[in-house]
This record gives sequence, C-alpha cells and structure tokens, in this order.
Amino acid sequence: MKINLIILAAILRLLVSGLLFHPDIKIIAFQTSFLRDGVTDIYRHLIQNKANLTLKEEFVYFPLTYFTIGSYQALAAPFLGDGFDSWLKDAGANSVVNNPNIFWYLIVLKLPLLIMDVVIAYLLLKFFKDRKLSQKAFELWLFNPFTIILIYAFSNIDLYAVLLTVIAFLYIRQKKLIKASVFIGLAIAFKLYSLLFVPFLFVSAKNIKEKMLTIVIPISIFVVSLIPFWSSAFIDSALVSGLSTRIFSPNFLIGFGESMIIGIFLLTILFLYVARYEKKINLLKLFVILLLILFSFSHFHISWLLWIAPFLIILVIKQPKLIWLVFLWSLLAVSIPMFYSDRSMTISLFRIYSTWFDLLPVPFTVVQKFYDPFGVQSIIHSALAGVSVLITYMMFKKEEALS
Amino acid sequence: MNNKLVVFTTTFILFVLLIVPAILASLIKMIPANDQPGYGSGGSVSVYGERTFTQYFVSKNKNLTAIGTTIKNPNLKNKKDIVFNLYDQDNNLIRTVNLNGFNIGDGDFIKIVFEPIIDSQNKKYYFNLASPDAKQDEIIEVFLTEPTDEIVEYIYDDEKHLGGAPIVTFHKPESRLKTVKLVYLNLLSKLLD
Repeated sequence: MKINLIILAAILRLLVSGLLFHPDIKIIAFQTSFLRDGVTDIYRHLIQNKANLTLKEEFVYFPLTYFTIGSYQALAAPFLGDGFDSWLKDAGANSVVNNPNIFWYLIVLKLPLLIMDVVIAYLLLKFFKDRKLSQKAFELWLFNPFTIILIYAFSNIDLYAVLLTVIAFLYIRQKKLIKASVFIGLAIAFKLYSLLFVPFLFVSAKNIKEKMLTIVIPISIFVVSLIPFWSSAFIDSALVSGLSTRIFSPNFLIGFGESMIIGIFLLTILFLYVARYEKKINLLKLFVILLLILFSFSHFHISWLLWIAPFLIILVIKQPKLIWLVFLWSLLAVSIPMFYSDRSMTISLFRIYSTWFDLLPVPFTVVQKFYDPFGVQSIIHSALAGVSVLITYMMFKKEEALS
Repeated sequence: MNNKLVVFTTTFILFVLLIVPAILASLIKMIPANDQPGYGSGGSVSVYGERTFTQYFVSKNKNLTAIGTTIKNPNLKNKKDIVFNLYDQDNNLIRTVNLNGFNIGDGDFIKIVFEPIIDSQNKKYYFNLASPDAKQDEIIEVFLTEPTDEIVEYIYDDEKHLGGAPIVTFHKPESRLKTVKLVYLNLLSKLLD
C-alpha cells in the first residue's frame, strides 16, 4: 500500500477525531485523570466524592481500562497544556465545546485509538498468507467508513478489547490456543463480551489439559484484574454492565412467570451443535455467528458494533460474495442507534461546529411526527436479524472458503 | 476495488465533516442570541391568579421570534392557561401567546414562539407572564438572575427590581446561507484562536 494512502487514512481519522465530539470521551478522561492524583480505586473514589465533583457519572468500565487510559493521560498531560484540567472539570454543556483547545484535546485523547487502529490493520495484514488478500484486508480496515466513525466519532474505547481479540484470533489461527486464551482473558478484563468466546475456545481445544487451560486462563486473568477492586461500588458501577443485563432482556413469555430468553436459547444451540457435531471447528465462523446473535437480539450501544468489525473484514476477504450482504448488515446495524432518542448518537456529535444544533430535532423526534420511532427501530432491527440469518446460512454453505 | 473504496470512504468522511454541518445549519429555524445565564442566587417567583411577572429586556438582534426561559411547574399541578403578552417600549401589545400548564414540566426550558419582529435589533421590550385561572396551589415559578445587557429589570408584586428571568432571545435567521456561513465562521474562529 502506498505511503500516501496511509497518510490519507491517518488524516481522515485525525479530522474525525478533532471535529466530532461524543461526551463520553470527556467523562472518561475526567474520571481517569484521578490516576494522576494517585487514586487507584476509582469506583469508591467517585461515589465517596460525588457531592464535590462537577461530573457525577460513575465509572462503568473495568479497572484495566482505568489504568490504561489513566496512564496514557499521565504521559500525555504535559502536551495538553494548563487549561486541560479545568476543561475536564467544566460541566457547562456549551463552554466545553466552545473551548478553542477542544480540537487539540480530542486529538491527543483519541491518539491511542489511532495507534490501536493501525495495529489492527497490520495484524489483518499478517492474517492472510496470500499477499493480495492480506493487502485487501489491510485496505478494507483502513478505508471503510464504518470503523472510522465508530472509533473516532464515538471515541470508542472498546477498541482495547477488540485489538486483544484480534491478537487472540491470530494465535487461534496458528493453533496456539493457550496464548489465545491469555489475550482473550486480557480482552475480558477490558470488556465482558469477550467472555462469550471462551466456551468456543474450550470446544476447539484438542485435549482435556488444553480444554481446562482455555477456561482457567481467561477466567483467572479476569478475576485477578477485578479482585483488588471488588466492592459494592464496583459491582453497581461496572459489573452489572449493559451487556450482562441486555443479553437477557429479549424474551417471550411461556406462561406462569417463565420466559424464553432468545439470546441464551440460540447461543445454547450454537454451542451444543459445535461441541457435538462439528468435525472441524471454525472459530471465525463461530465468533461471527455469536456476535450476529448478540446484535440481532439485543438493544445494543453503537460502540459495540466494533466488536464484530475485524471478523467481518476477515469474512468478506475469505468470502468476497458476502461483501454486499455484510455492507447491508453494517448499514442496518449503524442505522438503529441513529433512531434512539439519545442526541449524542447524531446531531450532538457536531456541537463543536455550533451549539445552535441543539435546537434541531433528532431523527427520533422527526419520525415521531409521522410514525412510532420505536416501530422504525424494530423494523430495522428485524431486517438486521434477517440479514444475520442469511450471513450465517451462507457461512455454513461455503464452509470450505472460511478454513 | 481499492481505488473505489478509498474514493468512497474519503468522500463519505468529507461529506460528514463538511456538508452535513451545512445541511444541519440550513435547517435551523431560529438562532439564540446568547447562552442562557445561570439562575444566580435570586431564587424564583410564583405566578398565579393576579400575581403576574413582567420582564423588561433588550433584543440584541433583529427578527425576534421567540423567548426561552426555565419554568417550574411544581408537582405538575398547573394545568391552566398561561398567557404571554409581549409589548414594545411604547406599551403597545405586539404579540400574544397562549400556553397551557399541562405542557410544561417541572423545570423545563420553555420556548415561547411568535411571529418574527423584523426591526427588533437593540430595541427594548417587555413581556408579561400570567396564569389568571391558577390558584395558590397551582403556581408556576420563574427563576431570577442578575441583570445583563439583555435582561434589564422585572416587576413582581408591583415592585421593580434589577435583573429578572434568565431568558434567551431567539431570532429568525436572515437566510439559510448566512446561518451556514455563521456556523463555519464559528468553527474557524475556534480553530484559529
């Protein structure tokens, strides 16, 4: 790939980083700034000092996220200038985006995302033996609008876990499941969703010892990373996460208070089918199906879509005929959160340009004038589930292409 | 495929960063003259029955088309008519808007929209807010703040005081193009600061 294309990819990312603002990045930067003051248990600190803090949100991520982002901020602090701390503490909705240094703050705060993004591109380059295919994967990662927006507009710190799952997947490809388990464990310590990969690592392991290790290693890493911070503050803030509650929510009643949880139902079928009947286990196919089930049957945050992105890139390189189906899936998936009533999914991203945009209605409100916006979300989500089923079917049908 | 992909993605990102804000700006129907001032320590005053609230202010721009402020409706009890009358400095009633407490939440920022007043720039106006049918337990409350170059003085209980409600005046844009230009100038001024 020509160097000028890599420069173009970087410029696009820096532009999105500096011009689009999702408030989460400032909240996380404010919370992780306490590491510079020597605070190690952020969960207790935020709850105990809530009355004196200008931003009162709880820290909803795991400790490893706090230490990673906090350490980076400590290193970057000298480059951020004197006004940075007061910007972090500023709770004014308008003054935050009217600060002339906001471009610089956002670019510096999002720089680790750029580094990880490029590392993922290089890992995808290494994934294929065929030079042409690896080149395609590299380019498709760097030049697809979905990941650029998902990472830089929404300041997506899920990228830490995504990078670790991609490294794990490279080890899986090299049949090094123990090393893969270590990286899956680290990924879980950043984001709980990676835990869903563990049962599939287990079934793909060759012998009892390896099977045990693929369970014990990731769980141990996860548990060890949490133990020092275990408290009611931690449980309430971070452990009862959106995922752990939302994955159980889509269900239908079967009477007498019982309900059928669709996600668990489908994941059980997938797991048992693989464990019992798959002769040659293909973890790419399983990881993709697992995440397709998750997105099809849960009310997801737009950031979560990044979890599946590298796997979809690998999938369409291996099965080029799926590219339009995957594109359609991505389009539908990104569209759903656009219809949430949350302003920061759409118009608020542009508040750096002008706070006058606050006067504009979000798509949710616009749709509300003609139709039920939840109905629109449901229609798109149902279509997404339909496309997910089709992708799953195509993956089973063309299995040899995925090996 | 590569070139097409690069061109598509580059175009898409530039469209999002350069064109989408212009489209959004062109959809803006009114522009606030300022940010809403803080509530200060002035507390609030109740409006019900014959207790009305009168606010004197200066419109900094032309095309005055709305006035916004925060109104409390404790326990959402006020479900009565709320009358907003706008007068010019010669005491001529120039606009009337009827609201209903049913549509006002407790602490909502309420925008009272009326036909634009074209030559409103730097002119003094006052408005009166009343809920004549409301009883003492059906009050609405207006917050108070210090005087600014827009918020001049208010009358409550027949007494005149400096300052008044933390209002924001809204103005109809002169043209869509001008609004787009102002949005980009705002961005540029921040970038070059």
